[in-house]
Amino acid sequence: MADKEKRRSAVPPPGMPAGKATKSDGDREFLSQAGVGELLRGAILKMVEARSDDPIGFLADHFCNLASVTDTGTAGCSSGCGEEEQQLNGGTMCAGAQEQQLLNRALWHLRLAHHSQRSAFSNNVRVAYDLLNLTTPRENVGDAPEGPDGSSADSPTEGVEGGGGVSGSLYTHTLQCLCSEGGVPASTSAPLLRCLHCHNHEAVPYDVFRYGVLTCAVFSDYIRQAQRLYAEVCSPDAGPASRALGLAVLGTLKEALETSQGCDANCCVNANNKACLEANVKAIRYLEASAKISPYKLAHVMVGGQTQGPGGNMDAKEFENEAAELFIARVKVVS
Amino acid sequence: MNRFSPAVPADEYLSDSNVLLYLSDAVAQLLDHKEEYTQFGVIRYFAEYFSSVKNGNHVLFREFNYIRATPHNRASFVRVFWRCYRQIGKSGDLLSMLEYRSLLQLLCPDFPVELVQSAARIVLMDDAIDCLMSFSDFLYAFQLQFYYQEFLDSVLLIYQDLLAGKSPNTVIVPTSTSIEQLPSVAAEEIDKEEQQQDGVETSTLAQCIDALCDRFKHSHPSRSCMKEVLEQTDRVSYYSFLMSLAKDESINQTIGALPSKAELLIDPEMDQELDKLIAQISVSPSSNSSGSAVGGLKEVQRKASPRRNIHHRRRIEVESDGSTEETDSSEN
Repeated sequence: MADKEKRRSAVPPPGMPAGKATKSDGDREFLSQAGVGELLRGAILKMVEARSDDPIGFLADHFCNLASVTDTGTAGCSSGCGEEEQQLNGGTMCAGAQEQQLLNRALWHLRLAHHSQRSAFSNNVRVAYDLLNLTTPRENVGDAPEGPDGSSADSPTEGVEGGGGVSGSLYTHTLQCLCSEGGVPASTSAPLLRCLHCHNHEAVPYDVFRYGVLTCAVFSDYIRQAQRLYAEVCSPDAGPASRALGLAVLGTLKEALETSQGCDANCCVNANNKACLEANVKAIRYLEASAKISPYKLAHVMVGGQTQGPGGNMDAKEFENEAAELFIARVKVVS
Repeated sequence: MNRFSPAVPADEYLSDSNVLLYLSDAVAQLLDHKEEYTQFGVIRYFAEYFSSVKNGNHVLFREFNYIRATPHNRASFVRVFWRCYRQIGKSGDLLSMLEYRSLLQLLCPDFPVELVQSAARIVLMDDAIDCLMSFSDFLYAFQLQFYYQEFLDSVLLIYQDLLAGKSPNTVIVPTSTSIEQLPSVAAEEIDKEEQQQDGVETSTLAQCIDALCDRFKHSHPSRSCMKEVLEQTDRVSYYSFLMSLAKDESINQTIGALPSKAELLIDPEMDQELDKLIAQISVSPSSNSSGSAVGGLKEVQRKASPRRNIHHRRRIEVESDGSTEETDSSEN
């Protein structure tokens, strides 16, 4: 791959003057010295992994982010790098600002890949977790590898000072940011966050962190789908949908969720061991569930709901809350 | 990002996005200016490079081959051109084709004259090519010509074949370049007189263009827009067709480089700056000599027409009342 980079750069692009053959050796040396091949390979891999719709914007963010990480102490990106523009003077910066900086970087990593791209998402969660772990005052930061599942679960109350995990307050803050970035109003996400809550003084192990982050990501998607579902149910100019219709749709949703339950939301925490055995059962349940919420079934229920059922209307907020409740009831509470 | 869309293979994703072109250009630029760029660090350099690509400032003062390399670069260049010379449009000056070329060459030294000519032909309907053109007319025509150049060249070939009476089914569209196009343009000008008014039947042209769109992957104006334009008349000439496309707002929005024509010349920041400048120039000498009432009146006049340039402004002060366009033009 690195070779490829060099070969490509040795070919003069259309706009460049020809006759650079003699210089190409020097160029090659320069590029390898500066680590350009390595740098670009990393960037391309990240980009292909994330499959962003805006690869140029992705690369701009990626390099800005890298730059702000590597040269702490020099001036920030001078043009157009947005939030990364502030300086990162590790030593002189007050702790709160530094924490905010790390939180921003962690959120940036979490945003890179959709949670359905599971391996990419997991990598990013890991990176974000390690970043947030840095905020705890420790000497040997960069390399404090914790096993992907081990962490320091045996001493969860040891406190922030140990560096054994992300502090509870930071964890909660991260989840709040994820939900609000996902377009979920604070009032809707509050009950979910109560389920996932950790105390501020606790050190959050990696598994719990990953569970929380993943749940928030899925929840944001779910709420967006629910909002879209409501938009489908109510006709755009006729005001709010009738309560009967809304309840019928929610009932179908609930039924589908119940079918798939047992392995739904909490798929990551304790499913590791039994994963292989359960895989088949899971797949069958998911198929059943998706059949239950198929357009045909839904239309059928809606026709039924229109003729009978309670009167009155149901506005978007109420529908959203009801849908959120269905989801949250299936979230495993973090103790 | 849509998780429901099927996964695109990595190489396809890369080739669709032109991102490799930018990466190799970034490396080439880095090698050309090693000393300048490396003192800030290579990572910082790449960050700056891609930020400027994202913001569309990367095409400033670059060579023509780079500027036309991707749709994003083309749109960025049109936008840069507009932002640099918006004041010309405000002052209402009309410029000739060669003057527009000079302006373009200030931004891109090797900008070819052929492209400017083609844009001018659209504005002037292929007639009296050395006439003066308003900034906004030229700008939208230039945008169309520059952004869809390859497509329009092919349409011109089809149009000429139709004019010559060839069957549209046998039309072969090569991957045309401006060099191939030149002799045919000259040939067209010879028998222009009798055919200019007639043009070709829009229904036939529409069919051919539809077939052409099938072969072009991305870079053509939307079919519905072209269809709409062609349905308005029975017969159409190549340049009046292009003029309608250039004025089409939805095509303009698709390209995404320019605002709509109504908002083209609105630039409050620059107006403020100009007002400030003008206040600095004119207030200091006049406030000492003239009475306060007269001075105040002059200020009102100045504020009322911030779009006129300083040259005009001086003349207004000499004349008795606020002048109009007519008096200005009669003096010239």
